Amino acid sequence: MKAADSKTDIDVVEGEGEEVQLLMGNRAVVQGLLEAKVGLTTAYPGTPSTEIQMQLYKLHQKGQLYFEFSVNEKVAFEIAGAAALSGVRSAVIMKHVGLNVASDSLMALAYFGVIGGMVVVVVDDPGCLSSQNEQDSRFWGKFSHLPILEPSTSQEIKDTIVQAYELSEKYNTIILVRLTSFTSLNTAEVKMKVVEEKLAKDGDFFKDIRYALPARYVLHKGLHAILEQIKEDEDFLGNNELKYGDSISDRLIITQGAIYPMVEYMRNLNNLDIPILKINAIHPLNEKQIGEFLKKYKYIYFVEELESYLESEILSIIGKYNLNLKVFGKEQLAIPEENRILPDVLSEAFKRIATDPNNEEIFKVKPPVPSPYAHVFGRVDQLIPRTIPRLCDGCCHRGAFYSIKRATKKTDIIPSDIGCYALGQVFPVDIGDFWLCMGASIGTAIGFSLTNDKPVVAVIGDGTFFHAGIPPLIDAVLYNHNITVAILNNSLTAMTGGQPTPSSDEKKAKNQRQLDIEQVVRGLGVEYVKSVRVEDTKENTKIFREAMAHEGPSVVIFNGECVVELYRHSLDLGEAPYVDEELCNMCGTCFIEFSCPSIIKKDGQIVIREDTCTACNICVGVCPQTAIIPRKKKKV
Amino acid sequence: MSGNENKPINIAIVGLGGQGVITLAKLIANTNFMLGKKVCYNEQHGLSQRGGSVQSSIRINEADNPLFAAKDTDFIIGLEKLETLRYLYLAKEAKPKVLVSNRYDIRTTSDLGLEMFPESDDIDKEILKYSSATYIFDALGFEASVKSKLKPVNVAVFSVLTTFPELGLPTGKAEDYVMEYLGRNILLKQINKKAFKEGPKWMKKVE
Repeated sequence: MKAADSKTDIDVVEGEGEEVQLLMGNRAVVQGLLEAKVGLTTAYPGTPSTEIQMQLYKLHQKGQLYFEFSVNEKVAFEIAGAAALSGVRSAVIMKHVGLNVASDSLMALAYFGVIGGMVVVVVDDPGCLSSQNEQDSRFWGKFSHLPILEPSTSQEIKDTIVQAYELSEKYNTIILVRLTSFTSLNTAEVKMKVVEEKLAKDGDFFKDIRYALPARYVLHKGLHAILEQIKEDEDFLGNNELKYGDSISDRLIITQGAIYPMVEYMRNLNNLDIPILKINAIHPLNEKQIGEFLKKYKYIYFVEELESYLESEILSIIGKYNLNLKVFGKEQLAIPEENRILPDVLSEAFKRIATDPNNEEIFKVKPPVPSPYAHVFGRVDQLIPRTIPRLCDGCCHRGAFYSIKRATKKTDIIPSDIGCYALGQVFPVDIGDFWLCMGASIGTAIGFSLTNDKPVVAVIGDGTFFHAGIPPLIDAVLYNHNITVAILNNSLTAMTGGQPTPSSDEKKAKNQRQLDIEQVVRGLGVEYVKSVRVEDTKENTKIFREAMAHEGPSVVIFNGECVVELYRHSLDLGEAPYVDEELCNMCGTCFIEFSCPSIIKKDGQIVIREDTCTACNICVGVCPQTAIIPRKKKKV
Repeated sequence: MSGNENKPINIAIVGLGGQGVITLAKLIANTNFMLGKKVCYNEQHGLSQRGGSVQSSIRINEADNPLFAAKDTDFIIGLEKLETLRYLYLAKEAKPKVLVSNRYDIRTTSDLGLEMFPESDDIDKEILKYSSATYIFDALGFEASVKSKLKPVNVAVFSVLTTFPELGLPTGKAEDYVMEYLGRNILLKQINKKAFKEGPKWMKKVE
């Protein structure tokens, strides 16, 4: 037994160069990439795929392989794509909505195919625990004509990644590997090979007339041909398995890789002697293989998370071959098409699977109320208060929000964006009326300003600004749209755990140039640009009013440090300020308008909690009575 | 305890972001793994760094599926009272053992008049009603006794868990793993060693 270098896992040495570790699904992806000797990897931060990226980032710093946090998913995809065309194995990692951003390049590169293996790892977030929407990435397979594999366990994730590179090179096609928050965040045993060598990214790009061809429908045709071939590949089809196949039952449960372990658990919990067809090779499906699996059974039950993807695909196979089967899908089994699938969500479905399949009445009953599991932030029970996520104690955004709040009216329209500052929408901070997707605050601000006779303010973070906020700001400059943009700059991607952004300094992001947001904005042609520190809320309020009065686009950059990041370096950030009871008139400015969770009411007085206060001292400048007195602040 | 040693043991750990829920899950899982047992766990971070609700479920003697149905719950570990109450529906049918910290973090939504928070005693009554045995961990007392800014309540709770034979965590192995995983420097070693040693002292069974 030996200690692992990471703080997460321990190793048990098996044979030579082999060991068993407890690995989170996301970490198993990285292990697969190492075993497949992938030389170039790219990503844009996104939960629930972040652990893959952070691990690759560490490996890059150690010099084992190339990794970068690209400016957005589209660029990340293009970099990895060109590497694969140069014969280098590459991977690009993103969350489900990231693939929307990269899809323009994905759809076109699918036509060319690749030389070196290329895998896109996409992690879905059913239940939108940390996303603006939930979507079922299985549909990308049919849409882009690319094969999709969906492993069930950490071990399968690692093995699937390795296999995906073999298939990718055998058929010269990009392979999508789809995980969900279930598989990516589960930790289980993985048997693996130790890979310590440096993985090179030396390639050789051959120019080919194909890449410049205008009549690309020819390539489209070729892509269909590849899918037909891969459909017959034994290794690929081997990902689909009939479990408990020796059962004599005439019923069959069909499920997808991502939730198989849970479905198996429910089968056993309900003592059902029914086999399960586990489909990991989501796209393309081989009609013959599926038909072979189905022919022994009379009753088919589909258990799926999110959309009824397999249900409709396999129904068309059943229809085509005129198979005499009775099918029970989401509707009959009362499985929701939204949110995560959890054991208790499936309890009604398994009750129905266990009953007489010919009892029509049971399957017509309306679905019961969804499980309490469904509401993570919501109200489980009328008597239990919600735990509403909020800006951290000492979050620098709170200072910016306070200034914006003072400078704007309640009726002003304020679209916000994707990041920690989206939590500004939560009462009582209450900044942010609209929340769409990465970079959308500025574009929608323009639309609101053109159609409403009200001041419009866009709120966007530094990472999001670089990701997708620059093109709309250019639009605002081009047509002199009358909007004010607040760029909340904490120099990192805070929401996903503190990854570097283009404005990160050298200390945070080694081997990366630091971009000055103010210079970038000026370079775009914005005339009114101010860059301020968050602490001076009074002065910032004045500046923000001035920016809003400016005719045409104006930008105020609020600079501060993410308090979680500060804590990573020191647990002692200084002493909490205190409230002078004589001076305090309980006006509520600090408590309600500024709304720091460390400022509480206790025995009819305003008190600052010493155990949670981080001594950011922004509240000191907020108090109209100057009743908040600072103590020692540690220099950071 | 049932006679079947390989029966899965299903544990839910709940708390707030920053309390060490995930770390506690790792400690339990990895100690079992080192002993050669099958184990798996998951994590659910609901914007955890922002004081959100955090939950992890662990299954010992199970290889791949860490999630379990409410009626299958064997153990609930709550690092905060309100979060324990929130997940108490896991206990309603199963009547598991519940280990709950006496930390009750009343959020500012209460002061702002947005939410009504239940009385601490009422939460205790609810927990007692639905558990086969209730254990209180005096986190407030423990925290006050720790001089450092770092309050390793999760390590202390982990140490308490070694006193439950059904969880199969031998004290020696458990401590070794805490030292290996959380002893990156001398200061951390000291703090966590002390927390591990003193943990059981702060636990009380409710009779």
